[in-house]
Amino acid sequence: MKLSINLTDVELAADDLRRRTLSHMAAPLERMIYLGSTRDYNTGLYYHDGLASRFSDEVACEALANCHREAYRQLLGSSIEDLVLQIDSYIRSTHAAPRDFIAAWKSLQPYRVAVPSSTDPLAVEFLCGNVRIALAIWEAHRDDRSRQRPDASPQLLPVR
Amino acid sequence: MIQLVLSLLVGLVLVVSLYFFARRAKPSAEGSAQQLRKAKQTLDSLQFGLLPNDLVERIFAREDLEYVFSSAPPDVQALFLTDRKNIALGWVRRVRAAVLELMRFHRGHARLHARLSFSTEIRLALNFAGLLTACHLLQIAFYLRGPYAAPGMVRTAAAAAGRVCLISENSLAFLSVKGVDPLESGAARHRA
Repeated sequence: MKLSINLTDVELAADDLRRRTLSHMAAPLERMIYLGSTRDYNTGLYYHDGLASRFSDEVACEALANCHREAYRQLLGSSIEDLVLQIDSYIRSTHAAPRDFIAAWKSLQPYRVAVPSSTDPLAVEFLCGNVRIALAIWEAHRDDRSRQRPDASPQLLPVR
Repeated sequence: MIQLVLSLLVGLVLVVSLYFFARRAKPSAEGSAQQLRKAKQTLDSLQFGLLPNDLVERIFAREDLEYVFSSAPPDVQALFLTDRKNIALGWVRRVRAAVLELMRFHRGHARLHARLSFSTEIRLALNFAGLLTACHLLQIAFYLRGPYAAPGMVRTAAAAAGRVCLISENSLAFLSVKGVDPLESGAARHRA
């Protein structure tokens, strides 16, 4: 009985998280990076202040983990074309200078540590390879447009 | 005298043979549990890590190839092909290794724990053989002609691996007690 109550709470918490927080993030890439950042690197447990105060630490942790896995699966299923659009949308949302962003992502590869635990290493390698290619394509597009119009940023279609 | 020595020798050979047969027929409980556990982990890794349809389709999707070749510079195209080739080879290597592991398990231990029928065993053996051949051919094709060389064979191999998984899953079903999974605890799932 306790298990079913907890599962319902977890679903409610996950719905709450999707509605209040994740709905503002259009791209799975953005959601995965955000949810990965709510995980404590020392314990592997997720924490979200607002969610924990509405439910409980354990329920919030489980809900965050579920949403994290969901975002990861969606990202894994994205085509490279879609990933390029997601990177474009993410760069815009961070307000970082594109040049700095590209340099940081190329050297630090933050997406590597943002994947959920217990994921298959081959799938993670596949995803990281795709992000690396998409990043290179985004950069090439940006360079092309910069050569055409020095003040322009890449105009890509919205994220699907 | 010679007959006595010969009889003693034959007796000794028989006793030694019986000793080795007796040792082989009684695997230790701990060793068996470890092998069952390993087989279950291999099965899980195949079913949930390597064989989900969406992952297989994504890895071998021509859509990505077409997009990269139409919109990326040559160095990125080369990087993409190298990446995908490595992933495809890694995928087929892992599937082959998992199938070999399951085959070893079935050959050595499954009969002691699960009541497989003769027809099931024959079907399993044929599936194993076909799958290993397909994996070998795929490896050669990927090495020689790249990750998009044999999409039909990839689908066939994935489907055959799925069938092997189903049969193996039935023979290991007693390990998955509803609500209690000895290989996975709730807390462990979230640990990095």
